[in-house]
Amino acid sequence: MKRTIINTAAIVALGVTSVFADLDLEKDELKFGFIKLTDCAPLVIAKEKGFFEDEGIQAEVIAQPNWKTLLDNVINGNLDGAHMLSGQPIAATIGIGTQADVITAFTMDLNGNGITVSNAIWEEMQFNDPDLDTPTPKHPISAKGLKPIVDEKLDAGEKLQMGMVFPVSTHNYELRYWLAASDIHPGMYTESDTGGRTDAQVELSVTPPPMMPTVLEAGNIQGYCVGEPWNQQAVAKGIGVPVTTNYDVWKNNPEKVFGVTKEWNAANPNTHIAVVKALIRAGKWLDEKDADGNFVNREEAVRILSQPNYVGADYDVIKNSMTGTFIFQKSDVRKMPEFNVFFDHYATYPWYSDGIWFLTQMRRWGQITESKPASWYFDTVQKVYQPDIYLQAATLLLEEGLIENSDVPWNTDGYKPATTEFIDGVEYDGRDPIGYINSHKIGNKDAEGLASK
Amino acid sequence: MKFKILKALDVAGLQVFDPVVRLICGENPPEQVRKILLFIGVPIVTFIVFLGVWTYLAPRHTTKAGEVPTPGVVKSAADGIWTFHVRENQKATDFLLEGDAREAALTAVEARIAELEPLAAAAKVKLDELDAAAKAKIDAEAAPLQEQYKEMRKTSRDENKATKAALIAEADKLPVNDAAARDAFLAKVAAFDLKQEADKQAQKDFKAKIDAAYTTKFPEMEAVRSEYNGYEEELQYLSKRLDYLTGDNQSLKIAGESTELNELEATFLTAEGGKATFAAAEKVLKKQEAITRISDSEYSRPWTFPRQIARSVWCVFVGFFIGTAIAVPLGVVCGLSRVCMAALTPLIALFKPVSPIVWLPIVFIIVGGFISDPELAPVHPAFLSSAITVALCSLWPTLVNTALGVASVEKDHVNVARVLRLGFFSRLFKIVLPSALPLIFAGLRISLGVGWMVLIAAELLSSSEGIGKFVWDMFNNGSSQTFAQMFVVVFVVGAVGLLLDRIMIVLQRSVSFDGAPTAI
Amino acid sequence: MAFLEMENVSVGFGPEGSRTEVLRDASLSVEENEFIAVVGFSGSGKSTLVSLLTGLLRPDSGVIKLKGKPVTKPGPHLGIVFQNYSLLPWLSVYGNIELAAKQVFPHYSKAQRKEHVERYIEMVSLTPARNKKPSELSGGMRQRVSLARTLSMQPEVLVMDEPLSALDALTRANLQDELVRIWEEDKRTVVMITNDVDEAVLLADRIVPLTMGPSATLASDFKVTLERPRDRTTLNTNPEFKKLRNEIIHFMTAMNKEAKMLRVDKGLAMPDIQPIDYSATKRSA
Repeated sequence: MKRTIINTAAIVALGVTSVFADLDLEKDELKFGFIKLTDCAPLVIAKEKGFFEDEGIQAEVIAQPNWKTLLDNVINGNLDGAHMLSGQPIAATIGIGTQADVITAFTMDLNGNGITVSNAIWEEMQFNDPDLDTPTPKHPISAKGLKPIVDEKLDAGEKLQMGMVFPVSTHNYELRYWLAASDIHPGMYTESDTGGRTDAQVELSVTPPPMMPTVLEAGNIQGYCVGEPWNQQAVAKGIGVPVTTNYDVWKNNPEKVFGVTKEWNAANPNTHIAVVKALIRAGKWLDEKDADGNFVNREEAVRILSQPNYVGADYDVIKNSMTGTFIFQKSDVRKMPEFNVFFDHYATYPWYSDGIWFLTQMRRWGQITESKPASWYFDTVQKVYQPDIYLQAATLLLEEGLIENSDVPWNTDGYKPATTEFIDGVEYDGRDPIGYINSHKIGNKDAEGLASK
Repeated sequence: MKFKILKALDVAGLQVFDPVVRLICGENPPEQVRKILLFIGVPIVTFIVFLGVWTYLAPRHTTKAGEVPTPGVVKSAADGIWTFHVRENQKATDFLLEGDAREAALTAVEARIAELEPLAAAAKVKLDELDAAAKAKIDAEAAPLQEQYKEMRKTSRDENKATKAALIAEADKLPVNDAAARDAFLAKVAAFDLKQEADKQAQKDFKAKIDAAYTTKFPEMEAVRSEYNGYEEELQYLSKRLDYLTGDNQSLKIAGESTELNELEATFLTAEGGKATFAAAEKVLKKQEAITRISDSEYSRPWTFPRQIARSVWCVFVGFFIGTAIAVPLGVVCGLSRVCMAALTPLIALFKPVSPIVWLPIVFIIVGGFISDPELAPVHPAFLSSAITVALCSLWPTLVNTALGVASVEKDHVNVARVLRLGFFSRLFKIVLPSALPLIFAGLRISLGVGWMVLIAAELLSSSEGIGKFVWDMFNNGSSQTFAQMFVVVFVVGAVGLLLDRIMIVLQRSVSFDGAPTAI
Repeated sequence: MAFLEMENVSVGFGPEGSRTEVLRDASLSVEENEFIAVVGFSGSGKSTLVSLLTGLLRPDSGVIKLKGKPVTKPGPHLGIVFQNYSLLPWLSVYGNIELAAKQVFPHYSKAQRKEHVERYIEMVSLTPARNKKPSELSGGMRQRVSLARTLSMQPEVLVMDEPLSALDALTRANLQDELVRIWEEDKRTVVMITNDVDEAVLLADRIVPLTMGPSATLASDFKVTLERPRDRTTLNTNPEFKKLRNEIIHFMTAMNKEAKMLRVDKGLAMPDIQPIDYSATKRSA
């Protein structure tokens, strides 16, 4: 495969310009799935701005009803690839839920989620923590104010209920992280308890995103963690208060990836590279800024996303978060330029360290039921994350002059530097998964000896 | 002539229009007018009353999740759905336009853009002004309230703090074992708790006032906003059209590629040396392939609602056909043989009440087992799964009715068959089936109705393109139009269901030999 | 030996133990081209007799022979005219007759068949109603269709099960004349079951009374020696007719009393139940 790349690169270098790049596409009519969330933007933009077409790809971008169906459709071949939760390819590969070899060579975005609680809970939180009792409380807001409410409920024999969107979703891990950081136990998954409620002080359940505000208003849940526009909807409708975004839980955390099956990649290697090329261009287009650091293309992107066959929400609702404004309360509107990151901070590169973080969370909460040595984590993530494909695509783009040399981390080993930019300040280093698992107070612990195996 | 029309109306199940025809032919006008008023006038009036009640009640029922849309809003949602459909069709047309037609379209689009841009800009300016004004107004209104609220909370907190301190101080001096004094103290604490609650409630009410200030509506601003959004959306659409009329246009792409092909062919002709010639030859072939590919390519059009309706109707017929193909033979066998009836009765009883939501995942797995590569499959697996689910849920009325119809063939008819010594098949086709036909069709009519209802749920789950998927997608959109779009769906589903039922009535009547009237 | 012979036939229904015998030791012999009328009260097993004669029902004991061969199953050579016509409602007059003709004369060419069918329609004077459906016809017309259908099979024996009992008096008289005309025209062996003694006397060569059921049997016959053609208008004043009629009625009523006494003797209490006719509900379903 390497050789084809060199050949095609040579052709490009020869200056044979064409509306079709000269990758030998195995397949040129592709179907991609997405879920109606603003972070599907790279797929939609690559189609609407003609980046796919530039690669000779006729793409159809099809909304999927839920994450499970989306994954099934990718596995059974109805879709060529899809906008996926970061945890999905990993979970599929190691057999949590549906077992299938799903890989990713492209991270679609960073951040973009929020945790919303009902008005009643927010008032009690304000009561418990006077610091919150202003129109514009200081961020980040931890779950400290929630703890007394949880305890009070437990004393009354009840448990606080919160919603998230999928068992292996970023939302699940973020919500758990946020709760556990304030000593609230969100429950463990066990062999027999696949709902993840063992020992829970707060019970989490799966609710489809569009149902979240309705279910919150009905009182079935008291809070939820979900992507946009469903946090802003709660504010707009006056039924809840977003207390924090995942940017505050873990600064610039990976959110969605572009996933395909291993077989599809094996059968269509050049097509996959072409798709990644188009997606990288879409990411770059989305994050383009003018001299003052304002996004230049985001409004157009929102216009496109608000079409009914894409995200379909009102332009004015998704515009806020997409252009870097987040409304926490009607009285508390903040600038959050990095609420959605599509390209900056090497966002689109498939970092091994990102994959390992999800693996550590799956182990921490018991979705991975047994102890694994550190080497297993490295092997697993290398099965799923395919930076090679990304780099091949980036090389071609660089040769075509469509990206800058500085846009891509050419010489990385795939691990981001260790960081403490979490809400609880615990250090995460992807090179030491066992140590990281053990550094948390709540959750599974593994034998230290496994770290070196 | 008149009787022919009347007969046709009767067969088509449109007897409602019978008096109209008679009136036109001048037959007993007062009587016909009376009938028209009753059968056409009354329904129309009822519908108008319904619309009136709806228009009156809708805005009066507001939840936090949204407002019940009025007929006007529903109409505009329907218009929006239609506009989207028309625009997508236009893009598909543009993609294929060539020659003068393309030029003309291009000029028109450019003219329209030139016309819209200043309008959009003006609207934007106006919107920004109004927006700023609205914000200022809200702030002016909310800021003092916010202050008051803060003050209120502070006072309340201080007061409560003081009271609490006082109570603790009092408790310090409380004599031990003095029941009366302790009771009195208890009452004071209770009063204190009550006051705290009351304060909280008062604060909550006040907060609601602030929230109300923030949600103040500015109709003028909203109007400008929707005007502006309208312009911007059209501009977005036009810019996309521009793409399809220029760079992304099929004929232009082919033209470009052809020029390159000519160059490559020239290079190939003059190429010298084995390696270079071979490379040139490969390039020519590749370019030819690219041209074929472009000329085969189509504009990948999203599924718009009208297309989804058509697809749903098609799907329900496929499912209905599958169901009928299973139910009628099975019903005949059951009706003919007591053994089969006894064997199948428990299964029928068991499967009949199962909901489509349960069938669908099972069907999905089974269908998936037969279709390994959806690319090569003649029908989309999701479509097939939906159709089979429809079949599974809708075949029961047909099955039961067929069995009943076949089992209850009149004994005399059976005797006729015996006297004529009809063989098994001629007995089946000449006596049994014709005699069971009215019941079978009554069953089919119920089946089709059930199938249509089930289909929406099946599509919603299977994400097979159709009305069900439209419902789920629009629900997922969570836009301000969502509720109105649901109402549009209600009317469309109802109208299509009515039409299907009418078709079945006509069929049923055409096979009912005893002239038995069919229920409406 | 007679053309159609029934020897000591017994038949009954129901399970062992509570079995009801409908016919016991019934015997009858019919000559070729003879017109026999069997008269009996309702419930005396007339329809069972029809079923037996046409092979729709097998006797428990005894034997029925046609031209010396035992009758074991129904067939077109044993034509029946049903009491309630039994026309197929989804076929036209022509269609109903054609169905029978097609089955009985499969070797006919299309034209031959058409001619055959039309001949029988003509015979019952229904040519103008040729393409009507049974539901569009009156009762009398329907019975004519039924008759034409059976005749078109050219059966060796024509068994009619109270063919006229469901009709009003005028139509009935009309059809009786028609029957005679057709029989004269197209001579056949006919067994007609009826509950109308006048009708029997008017039409038949011989009248056989059926005794009261259960366990009915055929009593000795009465010969009708009236000259043919018989004119119904003058018949009522014909002394021979009156005498024969009175004899038969007398015989029948005596039998009725006897049967009633017999039943009382047996002391068999019959439950007060009515059979339910499901066919009516089916139709409206």
